[in-house]
Amino acid sequence: MAGLAAAALGIGLVILGFGALALRRSLLWKLLGLNVASGGAILFLVALSHRPGARPPLVGYPADAPSADPLPQALVLTAIVIHFATLALSLAYAVSLTERLHTQETERIEEAAEEEMRR
Amino acid sequence: MKRWSTLVALSAIAAPLVYGLIAIPPRGAAPPWRDLAAAYGAGNGVAAVVLGARLYDTLLEVLVFALAMVGVRYTLHPLGRWREPAIPERGVVREMADVLLPVVVVFSVYLAASGHLGPGGGFPAGAIAGSGLLLLAMAKGVERLSRELHEGTLELLKYGAIAVLLVLGMTGIPLGPRGSGFLVLYNLLIGIEVTIGTWVVLHHFAAHRGEI
Repeated sequence: MAGLAAAALGIGLVILGFGALALRRSLLWKLLGLNVASGGAILFLVALSHRPGARPPLVGYPADAPSADPLPQALVLTAIVIHFATLALSLAYAVSLTERLHTQETERIEEAAEEEMRR
Repeated sequence: MKRWSTLVALSAIAAPLVYGLIAIPPRGAAPPWRDLAAAYGAGNGVAAVVLGARLYDTLLEVLVFALAMVGVRYTLHPLGRWREPAIPERGVVREMADVLLPVVVVFSVYLAASGHLGPGGGFPAGAIAGSGLLLLAMAKGVERLSRELHEGTLELLKYGAIAVLLVLGMTGIPLGPRGSGFLVLYNLLIGIEVTIGTWVVLHHFAAHRGEI
């Protein structure tokens, strides 16, 4: 069925992103993994709005032809912008943290945080 | 050890998703979005949902976007200012920017103004105009472009666009559909907002890198 391949690819991207989030040690890599996972979720939603032989949800196409579902596409439109904004904010925090601690290794960042808590 | 437990956790996430994908029932026809689009005067089902039926969602999303941009600004601002090496002119990029920039700007305004009739809308228009600014920044240097753009005016324009959008949008749902002119207005305001937000991200990430 058309559209299922794209949905499967979306699931694959989510797994890939979560894998990078869990296994990588650098903060920057973790954020990029989260970014890839978010892209997979977006692809999954768009693939679910597909119908066999569907046209885009525009009025110009004949009314009796099957058309894609506009609701998941509208949800995804908002999700993409929020994704961009939160990625920019988290990267800004990562830059600020790196400036203070001079490292991007999460374990060393945690050590520094614990040391600061003890003080 | 960590690798294996991660693998187990990931397959625990993947298994229900893949099962749901296999066992998915054949989906019926799309909901009758044509009536909704006709009620809001839109030719595009997605625009009718985003700017009509789910308008509050879009407004709050623009608010979240603006808040994140304020966060980027005040997180990166205290970091040291990066001195841009003085490069007089970057010939090829500068020439190409002169050729491409009018096309980019016209295309972005067109997408924002016709987004309720076809593919397009305020968010892609803002992203396209923002990448036009990125091209200009590569040609001229970020600092010079920032001086030429008048940051104070941009701030005023940004917060003014949000204020107008919120006032117009809050009355949007109680008063019902008000014709396609409001959709054009929403799209243009969202386009302005996203353009300036993209510029804020670009400028602050390029100018305040700190010292590492």
